[in-house]
Amino acid sequence: MSQIKIVRIHNELLGTYGDQGNAEVLAFRAKFHGITANIVDVTYNDDLPTNGDIYLLGGAEDAAQLLSIKALQRGDNLNILHLAIERGAVILAVCAGFQIIGNKFFANGQEVDGLGLLDVISVPGDKRLVGDIKTTSSVLGFELTGFENHMGCTILGPTAQAFGKVITGHGNGDSKYDGAVNGNIFGTYMHGPILARNPEFADLLLTRATGRKYAQITDPLALKYATWRRKVI
Amino acid sequence: MRLKIAVLIAKFAAFLSKIILRRSGETISGRVLLALYPRAITELSKSKKIICVSGTNGKTSTTKALVSIISKLGTVATSPSGSNLERGVAAALMQKSDFAVLEVDELHLSRVIEEAKPKVVLLLNLTRDQLHRMHEVKRVADRWAKSASAAPETLFVGDVDDPFVAVALNSAAQSKRISFGGRKHQDGAVCPSCGKYLKWVWNNYKCPCGLTNSNPDEIFEAGSAAFRNATMANVVGRHLGAKPIAIVEKLLERSVDQIHKGVKANIRLTKNPASWTEALKSVTGDNAVLIVNAREVDGIDTSWLWDISFSGLSGKRVVVCGERALDIAYRLHVEGIEAEITSNFKDAISKFESGASVQVLAAYTAFHELVNS
Repeated sequence: MSQIKIVRIHNELLGTYGDQGNAEVLAFRAKFHGITANIVDVTYNDDLPTNGDIYLLGGAEDAAQLLSIKALQRGDNLNILHLAIERGAVILAVCAGFQIIGNKFFANGQEVDGLGLLDVISVPGDKRLVGDIKTTSSVLGFELTGFENHMGCTILGPTAQAFGKVITGHGNGDSKYDGAVNGNIFGTYMHGPILARNPEFADLLLTRATGRKYAQITDPLALKYATWRRKVI
Repeated sequence: MRLKIAVLIAKFAAFLSKIILRRSGETISGRVLLALYPRAITELSKSKKIICVSGTNGKTSTTKALVSIISKLGTVATSPSGSNLERGVAAALMQKSDFAVLEVDELHLSRVIEEAKPKVVLLLNLTRDQLHRMHEVKRVADRWAKSASAAPETLFVGDVDDPFVAVALNSAAQSKRISFGGRKHQDGAVCPSCGKYLKWVWNNYKCPCGLTNSNPDEIFEAGSAAFRNATMANVVGRHLGAKPIAIVEKLLERSVDQIHKGVKANIRLTKNPASWTEALKSVTGDNAVLIVNAREVDGIDTSWLWDISFSGLSGKRVVVCGERALDIAYRLHVEGIEAEITSNFKDAISKFESGASVQVLAAYTAFHELVNS
């Protein structure tokens, strides 16, 4: 595959905490592997494209999160995501986006049904969890760093596996685990954006999305940045 | 009587701070005063006409512009530069004056309105900034709207091209809605009044719930942020009976010219996506230094660097420094701009030859260190 389609879902709603950068990092790293990446921005009124390779959701304020879930439950959108998962597409959802792809979440005091793509529910916590976060991920086999800024606490159901074990920070609210993963579906509370801080994770998503193993690329600045953040947090 | 004594002690504390610690002493006095007399803001405000200025960007320069406008009408007290929490407000109010023009932090505006009962509140704009502290833009907007509805004696003046400002003005009993013909807003996708997807036609929004910038009380031509802020300061001045000042944008931007080893540096304060985007438009030369820190007032998270397009720097010589130089360097790298990374401003500026002109965009804490050094 020399072309890849990255679908950035509702950036105007889910772009408050800088997560739009994940798409840019993916496209940038893809170039190193000789893949042409095409970033498609899907806005609130659009239907999701059926042929995305990577679907991205970011963090948002409550009102924006409510609009996003409404749009994703409209028409054929949810079905498109299910079909995408079946054919091996990747989903990376951060913070409010992570809650959206779970079974249930709360926003502006309302209980809302999520998309049910990950077996998690999110409930409001008693205080906002804000700060640097570091985890180690058994799925990936390396440490991840990022920044968290959320009220929600997420509880994993039996078919979801924790994405990272918390070293510093709060993650899902228990200060033990962050995010959840099931196959190629990843949810996390890490901003940063997560793929800018952890370029190896971007490579892993590209590998999963294309089904090909790429040679390790050399980008000294990316490595320096990632290594430094892992050292200081 | 006790208030007078508290003021005297606070002034003495400021005096000691100046003499012994060689600090400005301005916020110390406010801090001491509020500790000794928590109701000081309420009491001291009674004898003055108070004008508050708040918003994400432009507070300090707009406050300065308003001081110069109002000073034609009488004596004016003002907050120490950039000190916009309650202690800065208290420090300003200790001065004897007819008017007080107060710069107030967005999150602290409610308390200041409640206590100082201002005659006029000028709301400039509200965009994403220091989200580790503000949490959500909407959270700040809700507080503004709530305080506006609880202050029927106060006139709220603001730029309704910003939907968050418009909601606050709609909640006020008295308002002056100003428009500059509309402009896009990075956080404007959701109607802050009803929560629906906000309908924008080019630069203007209109929600079925009624929130819109299309029916202002006064409309001006579009311009830079500095132009807009000075224009609104003139509107507030006119309301109080003052003549307008001439708008010289260069003077209103928060920038300082310095010469470092023969290199001419124009240093401009940048602190969030909106102010960076505005500042990047002004980088017209070939050389730029970008300084990024992430201390409390800078915002401790740097994710927002990814909200900004730096493509305008393409082809220029870019040097980065600051505590988070690597964050900005990597962000630029992904946008195809290779910056030189240096460990501090001195090293950054020494990369340029004597005689060169360099535009410096500096994080809040870096700007203050450079300007006060």
